[in-house]
Amino acid sequence: MRKTKGFFAVLMAMALVVVSLSGCKGSGGESEKKEKGDPGELNIYTWAEYVPQDVIDRFESETGIRVNYTNFEANEEMLAKLETSEGGEYDIIIASDYIIKIAAEEGLVKELDKEKIPNFKNIDPVFQNFFYDPENKLTVPYGPGIPLLVYDPSVVTCEITGYDSLWDASLKDNLALMDSERVVMGMTLKTMGESFNTEDLDVIRAAGNKLMELAPNVRVLSQNQTQDYLLSGEVSAAFLFTSQVVLALSQNPELEVVYPKEGLGFGVDAAFIPSKAPNSDNAHAFLNFILDGEMGAQIAQQTYYLCPNQASYEFLDEEFKKSLIISTDDVPNGEFIQDVGPEATSLHEEFWTEFKAALD
Amino acid sequence: MRRRIRFSVIYQVILLLLMYIPICVVVIYSFNESRNSTIWTGWSLDWYRKLMKNRSLLEALKNSVILATISSGAAGIIGTLGAVGMARIGWRSKGVVEYISSIPIMIPEIILGMVFMAFFAMLNLPFGMVTLVLGHTTFCVPYVYMMVKASLVGIDRSLGEAAKDLGASERRAFFDITLPLILPAVFSGMLLAFAMSLDDVVISIFVTGAKTNTLPIRIYTQLKSGVTPEINALCTLMLAVTFLLVGMSRLLGGIRKKYPQ
Repeated sequence: MRKTKGFFAVLMAMALVVVSLSGCKGSGGESEKKEKGDPGELNIYTWAEYVPQDVIDRFESETGIRVNYTNFEANEEMLAKLETSEGGEYDIIIASDYIIKIAAEEGLVKELDKEKIPNFKNIDPVFQNFFYDPENKLTVPYGPGIPLLVYDPSVVTCEITGYDSLWDASLKDNLALMDSERVVMGMTLKTMGESFNTEDLDVIRAAGNKLMELAPNVRVLSQNQTQDYLLSGEVSAAFLFTSQVVLALSQNPELEVVYPKEGLGFGVDAAFIPSKAPNSDNAHAFLNFILDGEMGAQIAQQTYYLCPNQASYEFLDEEFKKSLIISTDDVPNGEFIQDVGPEATSLHEEFWTEFKAALD
Repeated sequence: MRRRIRFSVIYQVILLLLMYIPICVVVIYSFNESRNSTIWTGWSLDWYRKLMKNRSLLEALKNSVILATISSGAAGIIGTLGAVGMARIGWRSKGVVEYISSIPIMIPEIILGMVFMAFFAMLNLPFGMVTLVLGHTTFCVPYVYMMVKASLVGIDRSLGEAAKDLGASERRAFFDITLPLILPAVFSGMLLAFAMSLDDVVISIFVTGAKTNTLPIRIYTQLKSGVTPEINALCTLMLAVTFLLVGMSRLLGGIRKKYPQ
């Protein structure tokens, strides 16, 4: 008798806790009552330090809006959280192109109210009409990038003009690549004159085999801080993301940059507003703020990504004008990496795994 | 005999070096002038200055410490009660219950994180400190539980029984006799839980909200934009605080031994 009494007591206590916690939503939820005149909050969700602190500080002081800046590491995490909150909780999300396309297809992205973003016209048209937002209704480009080849001319003996030069025997055990399956396979496809996104399985197989031939040259495979290997001298040539290129050049101006002749890969991180953002007006105000000419320059000079804001070009420091502005001829040559369907994707994965195994 | 001792000393030294050299490098490079963490250019305290001004990093630190403290405290209570309770029960399903209680640390974190996220969303809980504490406490409990359980094995049951013979109530017996005996195990369990909570990235990412950022999330997600030596400076300070706390507790422990009350 005593045992069952105790058992039920525990059960009731647990039920009480669960019920009282679920009632929390009302009092502690996002939609707190705002006092009249209170500018409210803004929830930004992106990689850490991607939005520079001085930009946030200036936004806060100019508008009085309180900014909450939380982070995610991988785009897929962001998507998982966005799906769980059904498009709510966050106001501004900055993520990569392909994931925005998926989010938009799931209906989690809000259409921008251009009237609240007068600075929208500042965007360089070269960075618009991309595959994930063909009508420019959903996003504002934030961090466009092109992976490039960088090498140390004092050590490298062969001439590097494009991706194909990386296969040269003189670069044996002297190359750093990014640990990114589609980018590296894509580069190999380009050397064969194919598109990043071909779904022809035979072509992909040929590229996979060609990639295996590159394995002896590769010393390092790294996703982040790859430029450190180049700067420390551990490798003499590297295939780097834009921010890594700029960081490398700023610390060693002797390094040479090559725009591969076979064609450029393109990636854009863009800002969007989730469909049920709690502070949508503040979000629009923020987008307008970062599209201001001066702000755009300040952002690009700290994130080390290309500057998509035409009005910012005049504000960029001299040293950055070269690396952060892209010429319009380069872009049409550029291609995005896009989803290629399940068979091609698993073939890519197969070769990538083999390639990585061959590196040791 | 002598030879064997010398070998074990060498082995220990190598082991300690392997463990601590990376940490030493982190500390030394926090004083590095260059932003690059692989090339040394000169001495500088700039990164410490920048760290003090870095609001988001300090706020993340604050959140993490609060979270770890609450989680390890809650886990300490739950884990201790659980271990003490389980020690006296002779159910047939005892083994199963024990196994279930250690599941949170055996399941891959990513699965646990996603499960928490789905569960909390189903309950309509606001994501933030509340959900973080719930999640962290869950995976902290097994650490305390296992430590206390192990410690209980070494305690003579007759001590508790003797207390009850002398007229102490169940509660009095626990607080006056059992608890002081297992206290070291409870504290080590809580300390371990504190470290695990402070360190956790995966589960935190899944159950945090738009307004709460924790330190490991902050540092880990900074990799894309580039980690600066501010992080080294932060690590050095955290190490300094840890050593200070450990040193102080040993000192106090030593004083207690000298002047037993």
